[in-house]
Amino acid sequence: MKRSAAEIVREYGPFAGVEAVHGVTYDGKHVWFASGDKLNAIDPADGKIARSIDIAAHAGTAFDGRHLFQIAEDRIQKIDAATGKVLGTIPSPGGGGDSGLAWAEGSLWVGQYRERKIHQVDPETGKVLRTIESKRFVTGVTWVDGELWHGTWENEESDVRRIDPETGKVLEQLDLPAGTMVSGLESDGGDRFFCGGGDRGNVRAVRRPRRS
Amino acid sequence: MESLITAAARALEAGDPLGALNRVALRNDAPSLALRGIAMAQLGDLAKAKSLLRSAARAFGPREAVARARCVVAEAEIALVSRDLSWPVKTLAAARATLDRHGDLANAAHAGHIEARRLLLLGRVDEAEHALAELITSPLPPASQVVRELVIAGIAIRRLRTKDARAALDRAARAARLAGIPALAAEVESANLVLDTPAARLIARGEEHPLLLGQVEALGASSALVVDMFHHTVRMGGIVVSLGTRPVLFALARSLAQAWPADVSREALMAAAFRARHVDESHRARLRVEIGRLRAKLKPLAGVSATKQGFSLTPRKTRDVVVLARPVEEKHATVLALLSDGEPWSSSALALALATSARTVQRALEELARSNKVQSFGHGRARRWMTPPVPGFPTGLLLPGPFLKT
Repeated sequence: MKRSAAEIVREYGPFAGVEAVHGVTYDGKHVWFASGDKLNAIDPADGKIARSIDIAAHAGTAFDGRHLFQIAEDRIQKIDAATGKVLGTIPSPGGGGDSGLAWAEGSLWVGQYRERKIHQVDPETGKVLRTIESKRFVTGVTWVDGELWHGTWENEESDVRRIDPETGKVLEQLDLPAGTMVSGLESDGGDRFFCGGGDRGNVRAVRRPRRS
Repeated sequence: MESLITAAARALEAGDPLGALNRVALRNDAPSLALRGIAMAQLGDLAKAKSLLRSAARAFGPREAVARARCVVAEAEIALVSRDLSWPVKTLAAARATLDRHGDLANAAHAGHIEARRLLLLGRVDEAEHALAELITSPLPPASQVVRELVIAGIAIRRLRTKDARAALDRAARAARLAGIPALAAEVESANLVLDTPAARLIARGEEHPLLLGQVEALGASSALVVDMFHHTVRMGGIVVSLGTRPVLFALARSLAQAWPADVSREALMAAAFRARHVDESHRARLRVEIGRLRAKLKPLAGVSATKQGFSLTPRKTRDVVVLARPVEEKHATVLALLSDGEPWSSSALALALATSARTVQRALEELARSNKVQSFGHGRARRWMTPPVPGFPTGLLLPGPFLKT
């Protein structure tokens, strides 16, 4: 297992009226983050909020290319990214104990915080297809280049870790500075992760290590 | 973050405990137990709240030190509100240190405010002020600011600094509006009432006037000789003669002050001081002794001169003698007078000070407790009695919402 300190490239926020960041995703242009009763889109170039959708947003956020997915209470809402309209709802696998959310390979991947699990879920029916066990509380989930990464928060410490999607074994780990929380995770498809900063109300860009 | 926990915590923060319960009522994981505990506390079921918070603290593992510490702080606040003043303060201090260390400054400050409120309740005003000064105050969420200003107002009221109290309550009202929690706004409102309700009665030259707290304060700065029924003292300028443990002397001083500049007959004095129905020679002898004692005590402030039919007060360096009394004469005024020093008293100490039986004091205390004029904490021999330091304050449960964010 490779372990190193996370390299924080940039910090966005805090933003006016945002008490906490509960989930993060990226649509190729904007970084979206969930702040309780809103989904906000920031332009990663200037760090300003470009757009907001008024919608319950209590945990993980994901994007499938056209739709935003947002966990609210004990369900996952499918939202038209253009209009902000809710197109459908499925129950969340953790019944409200859900945390991170990611889209990959036609499935939703949902972190279940205290159960330390990641569920692969059918986005149409909400059916759990399989479950991966983690060693730590799961706070955010993302897929990039066939790698499964998730954020953790336990013992007042956070890290971003790559795990084997079959066995749950930790392959690589990036430690964030003490007291820095990861409350949502998304890759930009390149060499950056966007990490929600929990009740600090900010978003951090963290460098993804290059494969040698 | 966890979805339903976030939703429930947001509901609590917005002053909607039922909304919070709706979301976590059937869950028994640690954060749900804690949120349920706080919601129950806000709904007034303190016993249930306490047991839920205890289970939550246990359910949070040792690796979740901050969450655990928050439960301890919430339990301490419940203890404070239920006037369980024997609750271990060391546990609270340890929780505050944990929160401080992990950068949860808002909840660390909340823990400090609870400690200051407890000291204020115990009448340890200096220590309360000291505890408050130690806290890091910015930036505090509005709900915490309200609590802080209420404590500052409470200290100012206890010190009879009404201007400071009013300024603090104005700041509290502003913060309460920002917080948007109705219970907090109501708390500030009721604290404000203290300043606008007659706090005392002034008896001078046979006439009575109600006094607001601010006027009581002004009286302290005046040159009048004041017989103070609240503190069982006789004072003028900076000189204070305490008669708290000498009820007979105090009764004589009060009778003389009330009649001033006229004199008071021996019979009237004996009736007031000894509550004697039939006066005999032994009472007359005792009166002479007690007047002698009073004369010695009051020497720096006033003389006590014999007149044809009794005695009269001859104040030095002032042309004004007043009695500062409670707004309503109490049946158990003497017990209340002793308790209003803000210190916790045992009933046996009260009996000793009042020269009466422990049983009589017990009966008086129980009667006063029924009308909420006194309160007790502890059990058996350790039981102590006191008056609420300032009427109606601090009584509410002020648990803030942002308690369980992570």
